[in-house]
Amino acid sequence: MSTLFVLDVPENVTIPQVAAQDPAVAVDRIGPYFRIASPTAIVIDRRATGCRHAVWYSAIAGLIDSRVTQHDKDALRVEDR
Amino acid sequence: MSKPEHRVKGVDHAAFPTFDPVGTVRFYRDVLKFPVVHSICAAGWGPERHPDFIHFFFDIGNGDRIAFFYYFGFQPPGGAGGTGDAYATFTDDVPQFFINSRHLAIHVDDEQDLLEYRRRLDESHWPVEMQVMHETIESVYTHDPNGYLVEITRSLRPVTPQEDLDAALTVEALVDVASGPEPSMDKLLARKAELIVQRATGWEQEQERAGGAKEMTRP
Repeated sequence: MSTLFVLDVPENVTIPQVAAQDPAVAVDRIGPYFRIASPTAIVIDRRATGCRHAVWYSAIAGLIDSRVTQHDKDALRVEDR
Repeated sequence: MSKPEHRVKGVDHAAFPTFDPVGTVRFYRDVLKFPVVHSICAAGWGPERHPDFIHFFFDIGNGDRIAFFYYFGFQPPGGAGGTGDAYATFTDDVPQFFINSRHLAIHVDDEQDLLEYRRRLDESHWPVEMQVMHETIESVYTHDPNGYLVEITRSLRPVTPQEDLDAALTVEALVDVASGPEPSMDKLLARKAELIVQRATGWEQEQERAGGAKEMTRP
């Protein structure tokens, strides 16, 4: 399972929304964090989120048994470790 | 009534050496319009050879101050190379991000004030070098006549309580991974996820209880 956390602040709210467009992705919450999880890779398109670069590159709050395999101006990709 | 644990009240003064007092006064007093609020004219003293010096202060708002030392007859110590500032120089292989990591950021209330300081700098010999929209702040940057990086910044919104929790968990995870071998962002995010699972739900319940208590005490 690929799992990442994103803090619920106004700049980040589009990130779980865009991630959830993939039907394999489940989004729930632990406290003030969004938990984004998928049995396959999680791929989030930066432009679809509308996040400016400073927000985009500091959006990941945590990873459970997962690793970042892409994090650039185009996309964030998180996969099973 | 007992005093709180956290009692400090901001910056009294942050002090830097200068070899260019004329440029320094022009930059802080004449361009930025920071009032001169204090100075000391001191003869060198003590067992150690110490030059005569002027210690002078500018108000940076909120009663806080930036201060400079000018030492008569003291030349810049031989540094490592051609980049850096009046305090320290570096060889060209030292990356700029590292040199710029040490800087002073001065707060303004809103965009209008940020743009006013931008205007003052842009009309001077020290125009703004960068204007950057960060995560939750917007900043302008320039180097003062001493080569010190100066940032003027405004908040884009107030900090939320969950950001304080997130900062506390980040710092705890950082201490944990930096205490172990080969610290990395990957290790930090894995450790921070463990802390989120342990703490975040309880923190939110605590916030709700505190909010509920406030509700109950409201007249």
